[in-house]
Amino acid sequence: MKPAPFAYARPADLAAATTLLAQGDGAAMAISGGQSLLVLMSLRLTAIETLVDLSRLPDLKRVEETATEVFLGAATTHAMVEDGRVPDPSRGLMAQVAAKIAYRAVRNLGTLGGSVALADPSADWPACLMALNAQAVIVGPDGARREAVEAFVRGPYETSLAAGEVIAGFAIPRLGPGARWGVAKVARKSGAFADSLAIVVEPGEGAPARVALAGTSSHAQLLPHVAAYLGGAPEIDPAALRAAVRADLTQVDPDADPYRLRCHGATVLKAVMEARAS
Amino acid sequence: MMSITLMLNGEETVQSVEPRAILADLLREGCGLTGTHLGCEHGACGACTVALDGMAVRACVVLAVMCDGRTVETIEGTRGDPVMDVIRRHFHEHHALQCGFCTPGMLMMARDIIARHPCPDEALIRAQLSGQVCRCTGYMGIVAAIRAAAAELHPEAAARPTLTRNA
Amino acid sequence: MSAEADTESWIGARLLRKEDGRHLLGASTFVADIRMPRLLDVAFVRSQMAHAGLIDIIKPEGAQDRVFTFADLAPLKVLEAGPELAAFRQSPYPALAQGKLRFVGQPVAMCVAASRGAAEDLADQVLVEAEELDAVVDAVAALRPGAPLLFDTWPDNAFIHADVNEGDIASLAQAPVQIRRQFKMNRQATVSLEGRGVLAYWDHRLDELVVYLSTQGPHVMRLGLAEALGLPEHKLRVVAPDVGGGFGGKNRLMPEEIAVAALALKLRRPVRWIEDRREHLIASVHAREHHYDITLFADRDGILLGLKGEVHIDSGAYALWPTGSFMEASMAARNLPGPYRMRHLAVTTHTVATNKAPMGPYRGVARPGACFAIERAVDELAHEMGMEPLELRRRNLVSASDMPYRTAGGLRLDTGDYPRALSEVADMVDVPALRRRQATGEDDGRRIGVGFAVYTEQSGHGAAEWTKRRSRVVPGYESATVRMLPDGTVHLLVGIQNHGQGLETTLAQIAAHELTLDPADISVRHGDTSVSPFGFGTFASRSIVFSGGAVAKTCRLVLEKARHIGAHLLQTDYAQTHVADGVVHGPSGKVSLAEIARAATIRQELLPQGMTPSLEATASYEPEESGGFFSYGAHAVVVAVEPQTGVVSILDYAIAEDCGTMINPLIVDGQIIGGVAQGIGTALYEEIPYGETGQPLATTFGDYMVPCAPEIPPLRIRHLVTPALGTEYGVKGMGEGGAIAPPAAIANAIADAFRDVGAKFCETPLTPRRVSDAVALACGELP
Repeated sequence: MKPAPFAYARPADLAAATTLLAQGDGAAMAISGGQSLLVLMSLRLTAIETLVDLSRLPDLKRVEETATEVFLGAATTHAMVEDGRVPDPSRGLMAQVAAKIAYRAVRNLGTLGGSVALADPSADWPACLMALNAQAVIVGPDGARREAVEAFVRGPYETSLAAGEVIAGFAIPRLGPGARWGVAKVARKSGAFADSLAIVVEPGEGAPARVALAGTSSHAQLLPHVAAYLGGAPEIDPAALRAAVRADLTQVDPDADPYRLRCHGATVLKAVMEARAS
Repeated sequence: MMSITLMLNGEETVQSVEPRAILADLLREGCGLTGTHLGCEHGACGACTVALDGMAVRACVVLAVMCDGRTVETIEGTRGDPVMDVIRRHFHEHHALQCGFCTPGMLMMARDIIARHPCPDEALIRAQLSGQVCRCTGYMGIVAAIRAAAAELHPEAAARPTLTRNA
Repeated sequence: MSAEADTESWIGARLLRKEDGRHLLGASTFVADIRMPRLLDVAFVRSQMAHAGLIDIIKPEGAQDRVFTFADLAPLKVLEAGPELAAFRQSPYPALAQGKLRFVGQPVAMCVAASRGAAEDLADQVLVEAEELDAVVDAVAALRPGAPLLFDTWPDNAFIHADVNEGDIASLAQAPVQIRRQFKMNRQATVSLEGRGVLAYWDHRLDELVVYLSTQGPHVMRLGLAEALGLPEHKLRVVAPDVGGGFGGKNRLMPEEIAVAALALKLRRPVRWIEDRREHLIASVHAREHHYDITLFADRDGILLGLKGEVHIDSGAYALWPTGSFMEASMAARNLPGPYRMRHLAVTTHTVATNKAPMGPYRGVARPGACFAIERAVDELAHEMGMEPLELRRRNLVSASDMPYRTAGGLRLDTGDYPRALSEVADMVDVPALRRRQATGEDDGRRIGVGFAVYTEQSGHGAAEWTKRRSRVVPGYESATVRMLPDGTVHLLVGIQNHGQGLETTLAQIAAHELTLDPADISVRHGDTSVSPFGFGTFASRSIVFSGGAVAKTCRLVLEKARHIGAHLLQTDYAQTHVADGVVHGPSGKVSLAEIARAATIRQELLPQGMTPSLEATASYEPEESGGFFSYGAHAVVVAVEPQTGVVSILDYAIAEDCGTMINPLIVDGQIIGGVAQGIGTALYEEIPYGETGQPLATTFGDYMVPCAPEIPPLRIRHLVTPALGTEYGVKGMGEGGAIAPPAAIANAIADAFRDVGAKFCETPLTPRRVSDAVALACGELP
């Protein structure tokens, strides 16, 4: 179980990286933490001509904070978030999500940017960043652009990244002191990919709730019906909430079998109750 | 082939590697450090856990070329490390190993856990050991050994009343 | 016990393990750690089809001398495998495929290169042309008329059909209580953390083929390898170095191992293959897959009368050398009455070939399935009759006063107190408190359940038992060589194989006890056909009974001789001496074993007239009783289950067990805990499902769930100690027991949690999906 041969490049700066990735015409692949990519390569499930190592680019390690948002560079690792080594815009939500991604040794190398760029349907960060109303900042040969994470992630293993583009990081609005959040995950065992992951954020101060679901047969998506229900429900009626979940699932997971439907219902309910109890 | 320089177990070494070589294969085949075991080669069993710049990582999901210029410590490098010697003794006393195949990775992870959590309770140790597979012991001895080692290494932390945080 | 054992005993000591040191330093030697000059790595080309006619294997241009097929390895004999029964149909399993491909993962060709990566590059370029056939993936459906045949000469897909009958099941036709249930224990892998591995080379100095093999029994593997390769056994040395777990999975001779040895002979340079995890999951020994359809008969008081049923064993595509998986069926059938008094048994078994990886032994062999079936059925019967399952068990368990008791399955339960084990675990989990808690309900909506299972574990069974099973190899004894060196320290050479069981420690304890030495003075050597006398290896919970017995017996021979020499040196009669603390004491003096050993080895003139020099003996040992010695135990589990998601958490796990005298309680506990962890894997996590076309669906640890520390609860263990009658010190084997009961006990606990809605939990592993679906079905939720 060894990777097939490939060429390796370690560009000195982001511009060189985007140039290399653009030239590859799809055959060049970016690597940062490599915690998912190297598994696929060792299993020979993906063929790569040139691997472009982004892991040392200072631009991707940039961390900035303002009064209203925190920018976390794409190379921020799960463990840095888990340990509170980067500023937290989420009042603890991100650290809690980070701590349950795979295993510690994986979290030490795996990155936010890599997780979102891969867009695994069960991954934690796309859902979490959507729920936090984060924007992906993308740089490419033609400059930089920003896109809401829910728009950036387009399908299972599919994003809006064009050839040569790289995620530079995420601009994440700060949650205020009145914000509430909850997170619930069902997996076959600790560290395994989620069968269902629900994240609820109620920012407070009149901002609408945001609810994201991962572990569907497609990609992580927002649940607008549930969010709308929460906006008008000071007290939670489980039956009404379940109806809102059903309404969303016909859109975001139309192929879900009864078990997945039960899981999604349970995780959303649990995340909502956790948010409301906080 | 590419030439890389590692600070490996305290000594600088220059190695010639294929880009596709994973760190574990460089250590085992190139450097003769066979204490780093390969149990799954896809980052899920923890047998190949080593320290990269002081962080626990899986040597099967790290490319050797990506370690150029960095510091790597394997189980062989921990001989004589006073902290690891304490952990080793508790592994021995708590029957925390049977076939021994997972043991080097377990020890590397155990030291990492204790470094980050001076006074870990049972639940925390179990959670932190997720992804470290031991097929023989059922983990009880390993968990007990890590607790005991932490208590010996950090008596001040063990004496302090702990605030239980909702996980 | 030996008469000399008047010093502090090492029997029963919680001695820390002698084998730990090398592992803790990362200095152990597994097969993959062995370095040889000019070593070639092998990658196998494997079948991607479950069932196909092989047309051609096309080697890449220019790689003719680096890619090998079966024809290239000729002459290579295909071994007969399975029990020596005419009714058992042969399934010739060539080291590399010939004619037909019968499971995804079957080795088709082998490629060599200087690194594994380069060998895999080559393997990717080999083209296998084959005509796909319909696959057989279900053992029950495999026997229906019209099912595709794996072997064209067979009348159906069964290796063998066999019946086990006792009493008169027809007499129960009018029994007042009868329940019929179907149970399934699904297929899993054995998952030693070290996969298989083999390195072979020709040793020119000794003029022999050396095969380093990750195996549980090097001597037996030499038999098979010699026959396959056509080598005389004295030209073949098999060495099992450190072995990273086996659990049964390394107790069969596998095609890759034969192929690598054959290639080393052909190329005359070192060749190795190290199994990777994907290969392990698709092509190593698979285990467990049993289907039960059983009817349990009882009277109105819940007294069990008998059991009838049908058992299908999904054995995969081939029988593995030496004995295949035939024992699965007979052991499953014979263990179906469990530890209960019932007198009528009628079980039809079918050992079925399917297009899946071949099945072999795995910790507990057949009994986890049988225990799951009978113990689940007992609970179902109790539910049906409105009884506490605990009470129904109490009424039916074989009691201490019944011993020895011959079960309806023909097993002779020798010693123990089964009802006491059950009441101990019931006390430990506090059943009345749990019933009150259940009545109150949980704040978080979870359901609480408590479940029990009682099991027996046949251990140390000898020649008569294995002969009855028509085993190709009859592991009825073990032998040991005890060699006292001139300074009085000891080499102990044994034919079993230690791969985690702590035998380097426990056998040293036995030798130390017998020789009145310290275990530090004893070096245990094993795992090398050129080092130890013949032995069968470590499996079937046999090592402490057989090898422990052989060590005790051989030590006594050496000590007796030493005592004679000591008496001579002390100028006294043998009868006037005794041995303690490594010293022979006479009426007016003493002489140490070290001085005696020195005399015996290098100062022959000091020996009694006519005595042969040296202090060394080899002896074999078997207990008189050949039917085995039964360890047993009761497990009690408390679970919490989320009804919607089906997620199960184990809140408490209590064990009361009896394995007779414990040589080292520390190691006994370790074996129990490790066994239970694997049993929890079977119960809740581990499964290799196959798709309709025979594709395996769990090929990495991303899909195959191995429990980690968060999944395994702390266990509470109580020991009842009833020494066995007829083994040395009263020991019984106990390596497998921990793995037998958990699927039954956990499933019973989950069923207990949903007893009010009548949800059925009849299939392992009880994944969140299965649990959730079962609850939903019982609650009438639309699918």
